[in-house]
Amino acid sequence: MSTVNTPMAEETAAPRANTLRSFNFSGRFWVSLVLVVFVIVLGLAGLVYPTGPGEKVGSLYDAPGGGLPLGTDNFGHDVLAVLMAGTRTSLIIGLVAGVVATTIGVTVGLLAGYVGGWFEELLMGVTNVVLAIPAIVVLILISMSLPNSTIWSLALVIGITSWPWTARAVRAQASSVATREHIDVARLSGARLPGILLKDVLPYILSYTVMAFVLQVSGAILAEAALSMLGLGPSGADSLGSQLHWSLAFQAVASGAWWAFLPPTIVLTLVSFGFLLLQASLDEVFNPRLRRGKRKQMKQAAARRAAEARQLLERNDEASDETGAADEASDETGAADEASDEAGPAPDHSERSRAGEPS
Amino acid sequence: MTAQDSPRHLGGTSRRRFLATTGALGSVAALAACGGATGGGSGGGGEELVGVGNNGKAGSGRSGDGADQLFIAGFQWSPPTNFNTFAGSPAWPASGNVAQYIYETLLRFHIVSGELLPGLAASHEVNGNESISLTLQDGITWHDGSELTVDDVLYTFELGKIDPGLGIASFWTEVDEMTAEGNTLNVAINAERKNVGAVLATLAQQYIVPKAVFEKAAEETGNKVASWETDEAMGTGPFTLELADQTQIILARHDDYWGKDFYGGLPAMSKIIHPIFKSNEDGNIKFQNGELDVMQQFVPQISKMWEAGKPVGTYLREEPYFVPSSMPMFLMNTTKPGLDDPAVRKALAYAVDYASIAETAMSGYSSQVLASLVIPDGAEDQWLDRDKAEADGWAFDAVKAAELLEEAGYEKGSDGFYAKDGEKLGPWKLITPQGWTDWNAALEIVAKNFQDIGVDATTNFPQEAQTTSAIQNGDFDMACWYVAGTNPAAPWQRFSDVMSNVDMAPLGETAYRNFSRWENGEINDLLETAAAAPDDESKKEAIAALDDLYRSEVPAFPLMYRPDEFFEFNASNWSNWPTEDNDYAPPMFRGAGNEWIFQLKKIGD
Repeated sequence: MSTVNTPMAEETAAPRANTLRSFNFSGRFWVSLVLVVFVIVLGLAGLVYPTGPGEKVGSLYDAPGGGLPLGTDNFGHDVLAVLMAGTRTSLIIGLVAGVVATTIGVTVGLLAGYVGGWFEELLMGVTNVVLAIPAIVVLILISMSLPNSTIWSLALVIGITSWPWTARAVRAQASSVATREHIDVARLSGARLPGILLKDVLPYILSYTVMAFVLQVSGAILAEAALSMLGLGPSGADSLGSQLHWSLAFQAVASGAWWAFLPPTIVLTLVSFGFLLLQASLDEVFNPRLRRGKRKQMKQAAARRAAEARQLLERNDEASDETGAADEASDETGAADEASDEAGPAPDHSERSRAGEPS
Repeated sequence: MTAQDSPRHLGGTSRRRFLATTGALGSVAALAACGGATGGGSGGGGEELVGVGNNGKAGSGRSGDGADQLFIAGFQWSPPTNFNTFAGSPAWPASGNVAQYIYETLLRFHIVSGELLPGLAASHEVNGNESISLTLQDGITWHDGSELTVDDVLYTFELGKIDPGLGIASFWTEVDEMTAEGNTLNVAINAERKNVGAVLATLAQQYIVPKAVFEKAAEETGNKVASWETDEAMGTGPFTLELADQTQIILARHDDYWGKDFYGGLPAMSKIIHPIFKSNEDGNIKFQNGELDVMQQFVPQISKMWEAGKPVGTYLREEPYFVPSSMPMFLMNTTKPGLDDPAVRKALAYAVDYASIAETAMSGYSSQVLASLVIPDGAEDQWLDRDKAEADGWAFDAVKAAELLEEAGYEKGSDGFYAKDGEKLGPWKLITPQGWTDWNAALEIVAKNFQDIGVDATTNFPQEAQTTSAIQNGDFDMACWYVAGTNPAAPWQRFSDVMSNVDMAPLGETAYRNFSRWENGEINDLLETAAAAPDDESKKEAIAALDDLYRSEVPAFPLMYRPDEFFEFNASNWSNWPTEDNDYAPPMFRGAGNEWIFQLKKIGD
């Protein structure tokens, strides 16, 4: 998992002319965006596609052709229509489960990280216990004991079993933010706990939260597919996993009905690959250290930063203040690195040294 | 494992109908019409083979060790642990009522003609509904060479008294006494119940075991015969148990088989090998490649195999390919509000798209479902009043279903579901065990059909054990479940399974029949009359009366018909399989299916 590093403070310290340019979207970002948009459009297209997913248009495993671009499944339904409905279901489950998991994870993580002490030990103790239990086992047990499984209950179940890693990572970030000066300022000015958490802590780890959410969405889509493939999916709704379940049950592989199992497999691959790539490229956007691009751009950026640094130095003799702030930031980066098992120099240090070189 | 190895049975379609629906397979039918094939191998060079693949093709025979062996599958899914035929789940072929390769029964039921053919008993005679007498064959010997006597037969049934926990114990509720005189056995039927069919069914299903062996077993286990474990099986059949391990069960031909003369020779194969597969797919692929000769595994779209040129065949050349002989029932818990109304139950019966179920969930292996508890084909056809079933029965008609609900006073609410006096139709859960794929798919279709007419229903597939106890205890809304298949006691047994009010268990307690918990004042008398009917004429009348009551009350309705056993063969190495055109034996492994094992011919010889 990668980390955030921050630095809203830095961004303001080195203002740039063009804000859009400062996002520095890479090619990866655009590729992932295309994939994700494609899947979303596929899901929405089901709303206007003339054939319903429950309409019997043919027989058992009719081959593609004759107005059915992907043939029929074991119920005689149009595979393309089912695929569209299934993609929609999977996306809904992914989004809902992602929201649930991220909300729980961020809440627990923020509280634990900010409040600290025995409260932190308690929350993290619980989190670690939940983290140690394989989520898929819990998922299967809960799904089996549910009297009736709908897409909403399934999304909820997936959400409440997948939050622990978000909580741990957010705690690490929050505990670092908690030591910053602006928190003291907020506290002195009389802000209460929820206000501080929402207005003074959360914004600093928002970029990380967004990326965690994207990962949760793709994880939830895969979890739904795994459950549905085992036959524990939502009843009365088509999903990518239940398509695979039925094609397994009716031995589509053995009877050569590739159109029954390949399309959902491909969409699942695209959706999880797209989301992972999106997460990775967002990481680049938020984390300057990870930015990649053409060498020329890198050089330009380095030169620009050097120039900016020089200007700053010239204009401002009170460099010692700056250093103090930067040290603060490096603390936080250290905490984040610890949470993400990521080693390496803290980005602001490298930024600074890079900026210093030319001078 | 999947549904096919569970004790389900099913029932059928008329042959007229499949002949009428052959369009799609016309070309195949044309090929097949010649009825024979030329052996691909050397042998007689152009000699006509019968009983080959549905496309008229046959293989050229295996070479090497496999050439004289028969490979069979679909009966054993886990490593064999116990060959005690009375145990909870004995290994094949000691498990009850399967192929009679080691153990044999007194009589053998023919699923197509409904006849009871001789087994260990050379003949049997039914005296009204009072007694049955059986005469044993001459010179029957056990595998160790000792002679089978009437004592062995008597002891086998006595075991039901020695250990009342055994299945055979139920024999004694229908039978008062069993005596022997010389080589003849006399079974006195319970004078109150007079249920000849049930007694004949047991006589045709119970393996006869050696008294010497099981007397010792009873002694060792303190009369808990079911708990006895053994890796040996000594019977009277044409094969002996040679080897059983994690991967296979091997039977070897018993050259001193007593029935050499009775069957006109010994089986041609020296060994029968049952490989143990983990899943259907493994077996199906081996079957398609000719590495298995015959099996009873569920194969979706088996027609694709012979369309692809494989010498694969089934008893019937056209859909439904298998002889229907069991009837998965859609049960409705009549203790639930809404479902206690016969008008609602009938409307639901109209709402189901049976053709879709047959075509997709059943891969076309089911014929058109008739509104009757009698299977309209094979052995049971003689008891069916088809005109009545068609006139008073139901068929898929969603409009009519909605009309019936409205006539009964139900109105569609704002949520799109019918309700009466604030009592909504649903939400109901449709259950059947997870992994019984054809039933799972059938219920998906039913749930959708119900939703379409305005009845709230969703599917739910728990594990098999959970489903069984939910159904037995009445803790369900609706379910797909099995009832008696075609056997000597059918269709009476099926009426009893679905409707009997005898020993009704209260909700929460285990019921063994009438899982819908449907209550009616007349049914027990009607069932008694039918069971005790002294001749065919009055039996048919009594069955018709039962069927009338069934159609007016609809405590349950059939979703499809299934074969008793899937009988699929691959004529790569053996020919002369039983088919519709070569019908010397029925398409079954158990009972009268024993015949074909003696008649298979090695291709290339």
